[in-house]
Amino acid sequence: MSDAIIKTVQLTKEYGRGATLTRALRGVDLEIPRGSFTCIIGPSGHGKSTLMHLIGGLDRPSGGSVIIDGQQISSLSEKGLAALRASKIGFVFQFFNLLQSLTAAENIETALMLAGVPEAKQKPRALELLELVGLSEKADSKPGQLSGGQQQRVAIARALANDPPVLLMDEPTGNLDSAAEAEVMAVLEELNKKGKTVILVTHSSEIAARAGNLVRVRDGQIEAA
Amino acid sequence: MTLGKLVFKNLTRRRGRFVFTLLGIIIGMGSFVAFMSLGGSLKSQIERESAALGANLVVTPKGSCAYEQVAILTGEQLPTTITAEEVAAIRSIPGMRAIPYLAERSAIENRPVSVMGILPAETKEIKGWKLSAGSYFPTETTEGAVLGAVLAEQFALAPGSEVRIRGEMIPVLGVLSETGGKDDLTVFLAMPLAQRLYKQKNTVSYVAVRVDRIDEVDLYALKIKEKVSLGVVSDKQMLGSVLSIVGTVNVTLQLIAAVAILAAAFGIVNTMMTATYERKREIGILQAMGAPRSTIFRLFLLESAIYGLLGGIGGAVLGFAASIVAAPYISQNAATSFVKGSQASIDPVMLIGAVLFSTLVAMVSGLYPAWKASKLSPVEAISYE
Repeated sequence: MSDAIIKTVQLTKEYGRGATLTRALRGVDLEIPRGSFTCIIGPSGHGKSTLMHLIGGLDRPSGGSVIIDGQQISSLSEKGLAALRASKIGFVFQFFNLLQSLTAAENIETALMLAGVPEAKQKPRALELLELVGLSEKADSKPGQLSGGQQQRVAIARALANDPPVLLMDEPTGNLDSAAEAEVMAVLEELNKKGKTVILVTHSSEIAARAGNLVRVRDGQIEAA
Repeated sequence: MTLGKLVFKNLTRRRGRFVFTLLGIIIGMGSFVAFMSLGGSLKSQIERESAALGANLVVTPKGSCAYEQVAILTGEQLPTTITAEEVAAIRSIPGMRAIPYLAERSAIENRPVSVMGILPAETKEIKGWKLSAGSYFPTETTEGAVLGAVLAEQFALAPGSEVRIRGEMIPVLGVLSETGGKDDLTVFLAMPLAQRLYKQKNTVSYVAVRVDRIDEVDLYALKIKEKVSLGVVSDKQMLGSVLSIVGTVNVTLQLIAAVAILAAAFGIVNTMMTATYERKREIGILQAMGAPRSTIFRLFLLESAIYGLLGGIGGAVLGFAASIVAAPYISQNAATSFVKGSQASIDPVMLIGAVLFSTLVAMVSGLYPAWKASKLSPVEAISYE
């Protein structure tokens, strides 16, 4: 596994101090191969989301290091970290993923704006991305007018706005019925085939079974596969 | 999408809150603009009246206070204690012209108006009056009235009609051209008629004095005091004391307006803090999308600024409208009677100033909420449900 797009070395994360000290991660060594479809699986409260936040550059570790596409995140400023998120990682979350006051297209345009894409080029790119997730006819719908599965597909399209190499998702199908889950998974597998590294945090063993690379987290550590 | 569009969408998503917060600023700024505009026109009117009086010195009853000096400039009723002998003594001093006035009040259609007894020929000359209709007093004792332009228009009076003063119908002789001052709202009578109607036996309210040599104005003041036992003030002293009273009134009004603006500013803080809490998760999503803290800060600060900008525009419009509507009503009060509806005008510098000021206040109000929003950690924001 020499070509790792994300790598962690003895990664630890602690919350609180003294009697309230919680050690969410206890020395995680992890390598996620470029272009893989990786599932991070484990019971609730065992550190999956913490791991996701750290490898996505949303949070900083208490110890150890995170290297995203060759960059040590601990050496980055807040601004540098934000720039890294904008260029390398596309996030999808379980709930309330979209900005409710904006249409599907506008949600994607916002991500494009943050990435510095000029306004004139935003709309065509947004439509292109909606087409990619099979929702071009919903461009002008607000999140409230979309089903859960459709909302999640818009979120995926938005995560792809800046063409990041990595898609990082926290329980993206956790709130969906089976049909919607199948829709979303199909989109993700298609994207993976096109070369995106897909990392999916879940506690569904069915979804995990479809992953090429499986990482089990238990008690803040990686379990041997 | 641009930051501006995103800000606008955020502002209008909670329309009720947007409108109520905006109303707070509009009312605060409106009262500020209204008070400023009224106060501003008050000051300029006083300066104009002082110039229109055409006097370097004013002789008043002994012991008259600043209020009476205000009354001279506003045309209010004054104690009438200066006798004909005293007037004659003043008028006998060489090197200056002294013109007596009898300032009284009457009412036309239940609205108070100033009535002024004058020496027709001399007053006309010193004030430089022109007639817009009819004729002027042909003699010093003609029993008729000459009206100020605004008053004639307000009560639809013209040469040939009559005006009731103290129960007596007085024929209107003529109407003056507009002067822009209180003379526009005054009924002028020849001194003997005015004294008869108001039962003043040869007494007058004050004497306006114009000296030939302005550098010797203090000397003339002394000369007058030697001849008669009356109060003498220079136009500058009078203007100074009147302006200081008006200044106090203005400052008080502006302080009240400042409280209104302060309340509106806290309204913005409140609204923006609520928005920060409500949109915590959205802030997290924006951060995950790569928005740096500076962008989150700008997003919230711009929202506040737009409240200030729109509130400032609304407040300026409301304030000017209020000052125009309110001016005729409050002009019936002595201290504010300079403010005339016909004088209310829109000052573009003040309008722009009000909008800028409002935007600045709103941005300062938005600093803390914007800072709070930008300081949220992405994980904390995203985990918020």
